[in-house]
Amino acid sequence: MREYDIVVIGGGLAGLMAAAAATKRGKKVTVLSLGSGTLTIGGGIVDVMGYLEGGIPAATPSAGLLQVGDKHPYKMIGRPAIEESIRFFKEICEQEGYSYIGNLDKMQWIPTAAGTLKPTCLVPKTMDTTELKKADKVIVLGFDALKDFYPSLIAKNFKKIPAFAQKEYEVVMIDPKLSEGRDVTALDVARWLDTEDGLASCIEKMRNVVPSGSVVIIPPVLGTRPNYLVKEKLEQALGCTFVETASVPPSITGLRLRTMLVRYLKKNGVRIVEQAIVAKSIVEENNCMAVITEGVDRERTYYAKSFILANGGFYGGGLLAEPGKVIEPIFNLPVEAPTDHELWANYSLFSSEAQPFAKLGLDVDEKMRPVDADGKVILNNVFVAGRNLRGYDFSFEKSGNGVAIASGYQAAMSV
Amino acid sequence: MTGPGLCPVSFISFLKRGIEMQKTTVVVIGGGATGVGILRDLCMRGVDAILLEQQDLAYGTSSRYHGLLHSGGRYAVKDAEAGKECIEENTILRRIGRHCVEQTEGFFARTHLDDEAFEGKWVEACAKVGIPTIPISVEEALRLEPNLSPKIKSVYRVPDAAIDGFRMVWQNVASARKYGGRVLTYTTVIGIEHSNNQVVGIKVRNTLTGEVSNIACDFIISAAGSWAGEIAALAGISVNVQPDRGTLIAFNHRITSRIVNRLRPASDGDIFVPHGSITILGTTSASVNKPDDTVPNAKEVVELLNIGEALFEDIRSYRMLRAFAGTRPLYSADPNATGRGASRGFVTLDHAHDGLKGFVSVVGGKFTTYRLMAEKVTDLVCGYLNVKTPCRTAEENLVEDTSPALMAKARLYFPAYGAELAASRLGSEGLEKVIARIQEKPEKRQLLCECENVTMAEVEEAAADSTSYMISDVRRKTRMGMGTCQGAFCTFRSVGAVDANGLSWGKDTNVLFKEFLQGRWKGIRPILWGNVMREMELTRGIYEGTLNINGAIDNEGI
Amino acid sequence: MKKHHNNPDSCTACTVCVANCPVTAATRKFRGPKMVGPTLERMRLSQDDIEPSLEYCTNCKNCDMSCPSGVPISTLNMLARAKHFKNRKRSLRDWILSHGEKMAKLSAATPGMANLGMKMSRGILKKIGISNKAPLPPYASKSFSKLFKNLKQTSYPDKVVFYPGCFINYNDPQVGMDFVAVMQANKFEVIIEEDFVCCGSPLVVNGFLDEAEENAKKNIAVLKKWTDKGYPIITCCTSCGLMLKQEYQELFHIEGVEEYAKHLYDAGEFLLDLHDQGRLNTNFGTLNEKYMYHAPCHLRAQGMGLPGVELLALIPGLDVQDADAGCCGISGNYGFKEDKYDISMEIGSGLFKTIKESGRDTVVSECGTCRLQIGHGANVKTLHPMTLVRKSYEAFHK
Ligand SMILES: Cc1cc2nc3c(=O)[nH]c(=O)nc-3n(C[C@H](O)[C@H](O)[C@H](O)COP(=O)(O)OP(=O)(O)OC[C@H]3O[C@@H](n4cnc5c(N)ncnc54)[C@H](O)[C@@H]3O)c2cc1C
Ligand SMILES: Cc1cc2nc3c(=O)[nH]c(=O)nc-3n(C[C@H](O)[C@H](O)[C@H](O)COP(=O)(O)OP(=O)(O)OC[C@H]3O[C@@H](n4cnc5c(N)ncnc54)[C@H](O)[C@@H]3O)c2cc1C
Ligand code: SF4
Ligand code: SF4
Repeated sequence: MREYDIVVIGGGLAGLMAAAAATKRGKKVTVLSLGSGTLTIGGGIVDVMGYLEGGIPAATPSAGLLQVGDKHPYKMIGRPAIEESIRFFKEICEQEGYSYIGNLDKMQWIPTAAGTLKPTCLVPKTMDTTELKKADKVIVLGFDALKDFYPSLIAKNFKKIPAFAQKEYEVVMIDPKLSEGRDVTALDVARWLDTEDGLASCIEKMRNVVPSGSVVIIPPVLGTRPNYLVKEKLEQALGCTFVETASVPPSITGLRLRTMLVRYLKKNGVRIVEQAIVAKSIVEENNCMAVITEGVDRERTYYAKSFILANGGFYGGGLLAEPGKVIEPIFNLPVEAPTDHELWANYSLFSSEAQPFAKLGLDVDEKMRPVDADGKVILNNVFVAGRNLRGYDFSFEKSGNGVAIASGYQAAMSV
Repeated sequence: MTGPGLCPVSFISFLKRGIEMQKTTVVVIGGGATGVGILRDLCMRGVDAILLEQQDLAYGTSSRYHGLLHSGGRYAVKDAEAGKECIEENTILRRIGRHCVEQTEGFFARTHLDDEAFEGKWVEACAKVGIPTIPISVEEALRLEPNLSPKIKSVYRVPDAAIDGFRMVWQNVASARKYGGRVLTYTTVIGIEHSNNQVVGIKVRNTLTGEVSNIACDFIISAAGSWAGEIAALAGISVNVQPDRGTLIAFNHRITSRIVNRLRPASDGDIFVPHGSITILGTTSASVNKPDDTVPNAKEVVELLNIGEALFEDIRSYRMLRAFAGTRPLYSADPNATGRGASRGFVTLDHAHDGLKGFVSVVGGKFTTYRLMAEKVTDLVCGYLNVKTPCRTAEENLVEDTSPALMAKARLYFPAYGAELAASRLGSEGLEKVIARIQEKPEKRQLLCECENVTMAEVEEAAADSTSYMISDVRRKTRMGMGTCQGAFCTFRSVGAVDANGLSWGKDTNVLFKEFLQGRWKGIRPILWGNVMREMELTRGIYEGTLNINGAIDNEGI
Repeated sequence: MKKHHNNPDSCTACTVCVANCPVTAATRKFRGPKMVGPTLERMRLSQDDIEPSLEYCTNCKNCDMSCPSGVPISTLNMLARAKHFKNRKRSLRDWILSHGEKMAKLSAATPGMANLGMKMSRGILKKIGISNKAPLPPYASKSFSKLFKNLKQTSYPDKVVFYPGCFINYNDPQVGMDFVAVMQANKFEVIIEEDFVCCGSPLVVNGFLDEAEENAKKNIAVLKKWTDKGYPIITCCTSCGLMLKQEYQELFHIEGVEEYAKHLYDAGEFLLDLHDQGRLNTNFGTLNEKYMYHAPCHLRAQGMGLPGVELLALIPGLDVQDADAGCCGISGNYGFKEDKYDISMEIGSGLFKTIKESGRDTVVSECGTCRLQIGHGANVKTLHPMTLVRKSYEAFHK
């Protein structure tokens, strides 16, 4: 009989982190996953806590953590585990040659493609803003035909941000000669820079417009692989500093992070089953015995001692929204939601309030086990992690990947 | 490429616009189907006219509607007169409006829930007013429309068609402009000037800047739809228009390629209309106090889905794009009749009878009969003006066909499935201009809106038009942002492209982002579940989470 | 919701599929799965036009595997291609490549035309659009069905039906023979059905959907006959397996498909299930050998992990390393096409590099055409996992 200690349901950041932490503890882990999670969409920037209620910026992620509400996942996880999880995440990155910078005591304000700054906690080195902050003159570099990046918009908007208003901005364009064929996204430019020829030709083109010593804001195009080779080669050749912006999907930084984590897990013996759609569970007396996937051909049953439920929120498929109710499809766990659908959302899409629907999710105890309305544990060997948790609007407060990492870690440690 | 975005020329001229006093013979109020129809008719008869619209063209009911060019089948039993008008106008519009009408044909399908006796009555009534109905077998119907419920009992084919409200309005305006017609959008009528019981002018306010000015004129025609009562009230005259809100649901794909009507006495939720890439189901009916009470709610949506299930069993598995609502301009001489009981026929009210000469209201009616309404009211006004030129709006096509040579050229520059769409949206002249933009910079053939196949060049062209002041105006002209992702991707790109060309109307880009997405949100909020919820999580992830267009920046903390 | 919704509704336009499509990575001529699949599907429902770059899609299914929304992207692509080619004249090249079974039968019936590659010179092939560099598979001197007829099996009460598929039958019969030996070692008798025809996979990718459906009907009738009796059906070719169990359901509306699909197994998965039941012959002899492994896309798409790797892990001494470097690029006969050869090699380049860098000289993989491509691109020997399992059983008795 093939037996596993832990089955992780979902291969998003929460599931991958849970698998990593569990493996580190010597557990035998299987990840069942459908699709490749939101990382490639949302990006490899790790927000921990950027905004408090009412839209007030937190001074540091740490300060933000102190002020979260009672139902917030961070409250359940607790400060020590959050710290450990961040340390563990950074360790993996370091070990895999794609290290992240940042810590809980410093808010990093990084440039976005909309010409705003966004507060975050951990970023890849390609988004290091140390030099940018110091620079008097900044070059915003765009690529001809890249339809997802508008450098003049960034330059114009930065002028409106007091802390960035004193700087001088120059917009320059490079022609990657990609206008034949399909439309150009950051992915196409990044793939161009992945190749030796592409990189060499890019350096040549940049030489004419980017003087040595410049700080250059660019779209996230510094290669699709989880390493810093493209960044290093460019910087070396031109004597400049490049800073990638946060931008729209497909997310190159997320692609890199996902590639790296999956590689790490496989190296460490985690079995990852793709296209495994978990549809049901077998539960006996508050214990999950197995979960069942639904293939086009037939069902397959996966037995394990413990299960980590990390199948995302509404986007990922861990929560299903219907008029006036939310369903958790695998264990049918209760999700408290207003039956009057009008109460789900604010009239303004953007305001100083979080969106009620974004906070819908599962209630858990400190070990991340699902609990009912009275706080009683429903399943003893099921641990919940990621976006399916209740009580946080990741877009509003800027906390998505932070909660995924911390809750995934905590779930694995609780097993 | 650097430097602040300059105010575009169109914006400056817009600001200056009110300064010189304008003059015309006739002012038409309302940029909906009826208003543009009147403008075209007047201009074709050589009468000088200006059309005023408080928002963008087709802002009112003429875009918040079902888009069914009625064969008349829906009205035949209850209102033979309306049925007859419909089939006659339907025949005309299918001819003159080839580039805004899609000749889909329609089905009338009786479901297992509907009264069989009505079927016979209906066939008879249609025959009487000249609406052709061809019975087909249920098997044949299911072969033609595989998504139809297999439980349906009987099916007839009728000459229904789909009509695109935006395009039809634009094409009428384009035609009117050829004859000298003028259009002022974002111009709200706030007063009717008269002396000696005779109209002498009209007072307007620039909707965007608030600036007030006057236009001198001899005649005012109010084609303000559900707002007609409010306009008449400006002259102290009472016109009994009861706004009646109808909610509709747009689905993400073409679940039927024909219009499908439920064969039963006209009621809620019984028509599906395919439009290009989408399908629209409607409608509900509820009396409201204000003409712009067009916010749909989740309850109405759920009701529509419940009813729609009888015709399309899998309706709940089809993804919705948005819900939207319009208000019917129901006119009744009797102030107590409301809702579906009220007449949907139209009337032209010559307010000379109320003691004010030079003021006419045209109220009620349907989109399908807009041309007829325009003809009738124009006849009346021309009588006063002693203009003898006969109406020719039924003879001349709205826009000319794009030449095969131009179409062939367009295919070189537009992506697959893009050329035809662009040609029908833009007309020959617009198409030439967009092609020229692409010729100059080939990367402008890239799609800013991938869902609806809208190129960067077309977005720029629409943004540069003198009637555009925000991204939503570009949307109405191009369909950008109206497909699957409802702005998740094209909002960023359009604002970026518009801004890069110095066309951002002097507005902050974060304001443009929010304005556009809030507009999309209005239709998404009432259907926030299933895939719509998923898409919203993505959209918020991009704009709120990643691009942080909403969050305050902590300047000290940087 | 219906299980197979061949419509674009769940797509959120997230572009994840674009990031994961190997063809998109290899050529900028392809507009990518999102655009060509769900996005244009909405247009296809209202307009008759064709997206020219649709021809670049290989039906490798990486898009489907990465999509967070369960959009049947590749199926939409294949259906669109079929719709386009309906009533349109086809090239000789596409006809030849999609009718491998007919060609094989023809060559067997026509002495002297033993080998497509020999009979028609490479020059002629190039003229009709088949790359002269492509790793065209030679025909085996004796087909699997011939070899099987001459084989004496021990009869057992437990029986399985084997669906060999064209590649094993005509090009690589030894894999079939190895499979039979492995089943015999597990006390199963293997049944071969003469009435099976090509699964239709090459027909589907080349847009001959109607013919594929004819094949599907024939195969389904035969499959049903056996599954009704409770016999499992086993394939060693992952593309045949995917076609029989999944694509038939997605592409066609044929009664009873869901029923028999439950009884279809990949050989590796079937043996692992035996293992779970304690019924597997675990008398594995030690093989002190090192191999690379390549997971065919069409196996990964089946949602059962990598049974071949798990099975081989049971063999003492054996060191099998998963290359985990994505698609090999061949996609059936895609890489044979003159205009696709370079793309195909570009797609596989990452895999070839990984293999070369590993220093291992033999690659194990379930899919026959993947093995061809890997042999060609990485200049290594290749094996089916069943060959190693058989070898290990034999080693035990030595
Ligand atoms: C557009 C966007 C931008 C974002 N930007 C940021 C950012 O800049 N910084 C930040 O910190 N956060 C950001 N986030 C948030 C962040 O990406 C998520 O909150 C976080 O990654 C969630 O991880 P998860 O693992 O919980 O869920 P997911 O990533 O959704 O993963 C869930 C996984 O479970 C799988 N699954 C679902 N159902 C099943 C099933 N039945 N069987 C098997 N598998 C299943 C899914 O396919 C998926 O792989 C963003 C999100 C979005 C959408
Ligand atoms: C839900 C629904 C579905 C329908 N479906 C169909 C159908 O399928 N087929 C069909 O034939 N008919 C249909 N109708 C009816 C049809 O839509 C309307 O009859 C028609 O659009 C009315 O056009 P209009 O030009 O008269 O009014 P509108 O389109 O409403 O135009 C009036 C315009 O006047 C402007 N205005 C108002 N006040 C002022 C002011 N003070 N200054 C300047 N401008 C002002 C408004 O902004 C507005 O744009 C439907 C109606 C509804 C509500
Ligand atoms: S099937 Fe393969 S080639 Fe085709 S779109 Fe999907 S990933 Fe790309
Ligand atoms: S991955 Fe799926 S949801 Fe995302 S764009 Fe592709 S088809 Fe659409």
